[in-house]
Amino acid sequence: MSQSYNRGTVEDFGRWREFSAGMWAWIFHKFTGWVLVGYLFTHIAVLSTATQGAEMYTSTLQGLEALLIVRFLEVGLLAVAVFHILNGVRLLMVDLGVGLEAQDKSFYASLVLTGAIVVASIPTFLGGPLA
Amino acid sequence: MAEHYSSFERGGRRWLLQRLTAVFLIGVLAFHFLLLHFANHAADITFAGTQARMSQVGYFATMWLFLVTATFHGVNGVYNALVNQGISGTQKTAVKWALVVASVLLVAQGTRVALAMTNLV
Repeated sequence: MSQSYNRGTVEDFGRWREFSAGMWAWIFHKFTGWVLVGYLFTHIAVLSTATQGAEMYTSTLQGLEALLIVRFLEVGLLAVAVFHILNGVRLLMVDLGVGLEAQDKSFYASLVLTGAIVVASIPTFLGGPLA
Repeated sequence: MAEHYSSFERGGRRWLLQRLTAVFLIGVLAFHFLLLHFANHAADITFAGTQARMSQVGYFATMWLFLVTATFHGVNGVYNALVNQGISGTQKTAVKWALVVASVLLVAQGTRVALAMTNLV
């Protein structure tokens, strides 16, 4: 039998210690969404160097990739994107009413799988010549 | 249902379009990441390599659709998040049109960049 609990408002961040898994999923999904849409605009801005000629494009991209901080930011971007994708699939399931009773477990699974994929990808992202 | 937290009104048009674009984006984003970070290392990217990929009509069309759906999905997400936070009236209208203008500019610039990357025109 389904039960209803009054967990209060998710926007009331001051009581974060009382948040349930679903509330954390909502916050993480929103945070990663803001990061990704911000990145989309930045990404197009960087790629716009292609309109300034081949040399400019190649030197800008290779110059950025030569910076260690950019490599770490890329790992962060991967983490954000993978979580948003996995939790997005989870949201699709929730909306379709599939596995509702396990929605908290699927949130934890999204976190663990994100962590595993990111850790496994670190050698690829940090490998290659730096400046 | 106490455990369901979403900024979207379920069953609405914006909700449906967000879900449909999500399904497309899952596949294309994974492909984009795998191709440009694993199959080709990002540090090795050159204009010539980009041009070779972007000059294939199928790849170009996929990347352009990626741009359009990602822009819609991102901006629609931001709009719904703000509506969910309680904006209304003039504020809501101003946010809506600011986001529409930002989207149009992003897609226009993205298209310009995509064409500059090809030898198609």
